[in-house]
Amino acid sequence: MAETTTNTGLLAVRLVTPDRVLLDATAEAVELPSMSGYLEALYGAAPLLAELGAGEVRLHGGSAGEQRFFVAWGFVEVLPERVTILAETALHPNEIDVAEAQLELQEGDKLWNEAGDDGGKYDEANAVTRQAEEKISSAEGKSS
Amino acid sequence: MANVLDLRRRIRSVKNTRQITKAMKMVSAAKLRRAQERAMLARPYAHMLTNVLDSLVRRTDLYGEEGNILHPLLVEREEKNVLVVVVAGDKGFAGAFNSNITKAAQGFIDSRRAAGQSVDVEPVGRKARDLFRKRYPTAVYEKTEEHYDNDLATHYETLRHRSAPVEVTGEHQTLLLKLEFDEVTAMSHSIVERYESAEIDSVYVVYNEFKSVISQRLVVEKLLPIRKLGSHEITAAEEMTEEEKEAAGRAAQTAGVSLTEPEESEFEAEARKFGTAEVDYIFDQAPYRLFRHLMPRYVTTQIFHALLESVAAEHAARMTAMDSATNNAGDMIDALSLTMNRVRQAAITKEIIEIVSGAAAL
Repeated sequence: MAETTTNTGLLAVRLVTPDRVLLDATAEAVELPSMSGYLEALYGAAPLLAELGAGEVRLHGGSAGEQRFFVAWGFVEVLPERVTILAETALHPNEIDVAEAQLELQEGDKLWNEAGDDGGKYDEANAVTRQAEEKISSAEGKSS
Repeated sequence: MANVLDLRRRIRSVKNTRQITKAMKMVSAAKLRRAQERAMLARPYAHMLTNVLDSLVRRTDLYGEEGNILHPLLVEREEKNVLVVVVAGDKGFAGAFNSNITKAAQGFIDSRRAAGQSVDVEPVGRKARDLFRKRYPTAVYEKTEEHYDNDLATHYETLRHRSAPVEVTGEHQTLLLKLEFDEVTAMSHSIVERYESAEIDSVYVVYNEFKSVISQRLVVEKLLPIRKLGSHEITAAEEMTEEEKEAAGRAAQTAGVSLTEPEESEFEAEARKFGTAEVDYIFDQAPYRLFRHLMPRYVTTQIFHALLESVAAEHAARMTAMDSATNNAGDMIDALSLTMNRVRQAAITKEIIEIVSGAAAL
């Protein structure tokens, strides 16, 4: 959806969490874990509002350099020259506690088993499991 | 009359107390500054979330095709069961801070009771919890489990048995210690769930709003159902008295805390514009799905905001209380020193008289 021909400028990228503004930098491209799959925003992208699921926000080029952040649920506003991400949880891959994520994974399984006949609870359990899995894979990918 | 030695001891003890209260005041001032900073840092996120919701509401209908309201948190019911979240402090030595809040909460509960409504109390902070646990019974939940189809399916249900008109439903003793967003999420999640299952029909928060040291008020805010986004629906408020303002202003000046509300940062101003650009956004997901995830989070940020402000207000109250304690100790030392000097002078005069009259007798 980005016009690659005008890909000359840099995007102003901001990552905001409930506690603070985690990142304020520029980048050439931003990968975003939207609810309906990963999408990449480049300079000049069409205005978009999307809900983010659990996954990684990846920044390429610009003052940010190569950076990755794990986010669990959030929202992104993409404008032609600006990307603003609001994330409920945002962690640097180095900050992720894998042991804790494993516990969360077990918690997800437990929720699944206890969901009974309530469809909403299955969704909830799935969300917990997915978040834990994404967290673990984000932490493991830190060497790459 | 007390002798000089006793008075000197007394003065020394008051001096020690004064040092402690002075130190406590400075510590509270430092904590207050940090709390204020945190509240500032939390603002962009809250603005942005509200904006997304707001722009969503403006673009889509809140009612589905069959005329049903798209989100359960917007549904208004007759208020039969009311939940009140009482935000007080964990520690004392904060002047009338805790008692003011519990008094306001009690007033709220009594008025609701008079109107024939049942009230659930959810205290936050040790002071509120101790008090309401003593006054009201704890709510009882019963977990049931049903098995169907040879144990292939299980149905779980949690039932609430109301035995008293006023019950304490949950407690959050450690919430204020570090005030993590995740923990607040857990709390708001449980509140939202109870609202959706119609266990409660409305939710109020009693807390101390904090704009700056001299601009605070005790408010009762309606949290659910959501009527208007981005605004705080205050149902009752109690402003500071002039006297309190003066005392707080004096304390803040001597402790180096600014009296004015910190200015809006450049980023905060930009956060206000989040999602409101004059362009036609592409929405990645269907509105009703977005609603389902956004609404509970909106409630969480509202609660988070209330807690952050309350923590700042608690430190400000402690700072003011400790400032007046320090001043009082100073006055006391002055008065005691005066008495001590008088007593000493009286003793000296008496001795001289004795010597003089002894010499005259020779």
